[in-house]
Amino acid sequence: MRMTPRLLAAIVGLSLAGSVAGQQGRPVELPDGPSKPGFDIERFGGAGGGFFETFYVEATQPLQQALDDGIVSEDMRVMVTEVATGKLALVTSQMAYHHIAQGTAGGKDWMATF
Amino acid sequence: MVPTIDGVMHHFENVGIYDGLFVMQDTESKTLWNHISGEAMYGPHVGKTLGPIGNLLQLDVQEALAVDPGMEVAISDRPYAGRSSVPGQGTLSADAELIGMFIETLGEEDNRRPRMDMGLGVWTDASRRYYPMEEIRARGALIDRLDDRDIVVFIEARSATPTAIFVDSDSATIEGNEIRLDSGAVIRAGVLFDAQGNRQAREQPQQIFTRWYGYILTFPGAEVFGQ
Repeated sequence: MRMTPRLLAAIVGLSLAGSVAGQQGRPVELPDGPSKPGFDIERFGGAGGGFFETFYVEATQPLQQALDDGIVSEDMRVMVTEVATGKLALVTSQMAYHHIAQGTAGGKDWMATF
Repeated sequence: MVPTIDGVMHHFENVGIYDGLFVMQDTESKTLWNHISGEAMYGPHVGKTLGPIGNLLQLDVQEALAVDPGMEVAISDRPYAGRSSVPGQGTLSADAELIGMFIETLGEEDNRRPRMDMGLGVWTDASRRYYPMEEIRARGALIDRLDDRDIVVFIEARSATPTAIFVDSDSATIEGNEIRLDSGAVIRAGVLFDAQGNRQAREQPQQIFTRWYGYILTFPGAEVFGQ
C-alpha cells in the first residue's frame, strides 16, 4: 500500500529513528498541484523536513583573510558558487547541515543548494 | 540558482525527499523544487526554473584561493570541522547503501550503472553526460567533446573531486599535480594557464559530483561516458 504524501509526512517522524531520513519530519503543507509532467507526488516523502535550516547569508569576508586569521584552514573543504560580486565559498561541513544558502550580493538574489 | 520568482525573492527550505534527493519548497507558494535542476516539480510555479543555475564546485581552501585569491567566504553560526567530508560522499564505494526512506521515493531506476556509483554529472541545454569516477581514475585526465567543444575531465588533486573544464585540446596527460594539454595549456592547482603561461578564466559546464541514481533520475536518458 502506498501512503499519500500527507499521511507519510505526518507519521514519518514516529516510524524512524537514527539517520537523517529518520529525523522527525515536520508535516509538509502541499499545494493542490499541478505536477510537472512525470512527477509523481505519491512518491514524495516528508522525511527530514524541517531538520535542515537554510543559511541566510548576511555577511561575507575575504577567504584569504579568514585563512590568515585561522578561521579556516588550507585543507578545509569549501563549496564555491558565483554571485553577482564574484566567487563565494561556503564551508562544506556547514552546508551539510544547511543544504541551502541564499542571500543578496550586488543587488541580485542568489541561492546555492547541496 | 536565483531564488527570485516574478521579481520577488522567495525563501527556500528542505521539506522532504523525492527520487532519493532532497526536495526544496519555497515558503511563499509551497511549490516543490528540484535542488539540482532548479525546476518546479509540484505546485503553482510548475513550468518555472530558478535559473540561471550556477555550479557549486567542491574545492579546499587552498584550491579556492588559487582559483580566485579575492574570493569571499560566508560562515554561518554552525560549528565546523577543519577538513570536512561530504556526507554521502565520504566513501566512494558503490557498495554503500541507500536507506529505506530514500529508496521508496525512487522512480524507475536505470541499471547502466550501480545505484550508488559515484561520478561527475554534466549537463547543458543540449547534452547530459555522466562520467563514472572509475573511468576518470583509469584515464587520469580525459578529453571529450560536449556541444562541439572540448572538455577535460579530471580529479582535482587536493580535494579529490572530479571536475570538467572547457578547453581547446585533443589530448591531456597528468604530470605530477599538473594536467598538460596538447595545446600547450596547463592546469595547475585548479588554474588554467595558456601556452604562454597566462592565467585563463576557467569556463565550466554545469556539473555535479554525485551518485548515479540522483543524476540519472534528474536527467533520464543521459549518456554515460565509456558505455
